[in-house]
Amino acid sequence: MTPDDRLAAEFAIGLLEGQDLLDARGRRASDPAFAKAVDWWEARLAPLLDTIPAVVPPEYLLARISAAMADTPDGGAEVVRLRQRVRFWQRGAAAGAIAASAALAALVLTPQNRTPADVPVRAASAPLVASIPIGDSALRLGVTYLPDRKELLVSASGLASDGVHDHELWLVPDGGGALRSLGVVQPGRERRVSLDPATAALIHDGSAMVLTREPLGGKPPAADAGPVVAEGSFDRV
Amino acid sequence: MSAEQARARLAAALVRLGAGDKAALEQVYRATSAKLFGICLRILGDRKEAEDTLQEVYLTLWRRADRFDPARASPITWIAVLARNRAIDRLRRKRTLGPAVPVEAAREVADETPSAEDSLIEDEGQARIHHCLETLESAQRSGIKEAFFGGFTYADLAQRAGIPLGTMKSRIRRGLARLKTCLEAGE
Repeated sequence: MTPDDRLAAEFAIGLLEGQDLLDARGRRASDPAFAKAVDWWEARLAPLLDTIPAVVPPEYLLARISAAMADTPDGGAEVVRLRQRVRFWQRGAAAGAIAASAALAALVLTPQNRTPADVPVRAASAPLVASIPIGDSALRLGVTYLPDRKELLVSASGLASDGVHDHELWLVPDGGGALRSLGVVQPGRERRVSLDPATAALIHDGSAMVLTREPLGGKPPAADAGPVVAEGSFDRV
Repeated sequence: MSAEQARARLAAALVRLGAGDKAALEQVYRATSAKLFGICLRILGDRKEAEDTLQEVYLTLWRRADRFDPARASPITWIAVLARNRAIDRLRRKRTLGPAVPVEAAREVADETPSAEDSLIEDEGQARIHHCLETLESAQRSGIKEAFFGGFTYADLAQRAGIPLGTMKSRIRRGLARLKTCLEAGE
């Protein structure tokens, strides 16, 4: 059994947490051979789910799901549109563009009905928060934005460093321009980041962020960003 | 309708759903909801949580059914794994938020054999997992099952067993290597 295959099994079964889980999740998104190994294990393990008896869900659930779908007008079609947008973005973006799948995953989280006109100007000074789940683990990256100070508090208290990678947080601009770095995350610490006014101006309720895995110190200037390992968006408190 | 046909229809409905056809939802739902609700309920041990998870799963299918590749995976396997992963996700979140871990969620899944109508997933060869798990030491087998059904990580398992993390890891890893050899022998 190769180390990668073992990691794939551990990931599929759910044995990993913390940094190991983050890494495995990133690998699955960026490394087709590893993704295939995870698929192999998932398919072999899936018959275990057959030991669970079927239970008919309550009648109202289908209606509830249909209603939730109706609240989001586009669904599948939206994904197609987003994909076109990502392609456009990739063509236009220079160094720093990230992989299409990762970008798509991030963009799907961006509410599409939000136009700049909808952005609440009134609440400009109210803090915004985001709690970004990390992989399948219970860990969360806490991000608070203080508009009046143009400061970001990034709390990674549950995270441990593996000594080889850092994680960098990025803002995904609404219009699909290049990602804006919000700094490297410091495992186990809360970090205060001062934002330049141009970046700060892009942040609003609903703004999407992605977390990428990078070499120590963050993304090297000449390199593309690493795999997206987590994503989330700002919300009002 | 043969199992083969049922599978082909479900795969086609999933592809339509991913293309934005809301009408395909009902077809996918009718074919899979009892199976998936059973999975969510077993893992979460709570009807309300299981309902919410099920809703999340179908909305996910709608938003990203396009990632389903009929050439690569059986549709029901793909969906069942998605439901299991979402339920485990929710279980772990719940576990960190409150001290109350539902004991049922952690219970060992005994040597149950799937009944005929529940066997949506099984393909010949794939069902080797049941046999192969039996070839492991019982501590390895129960660790793997507790992780798969109960969302327990290496660290959780070590804590529950009262042994060092490293000991638990090497125990389970020996089991994984053996499992792999056994599974491959059937292909």
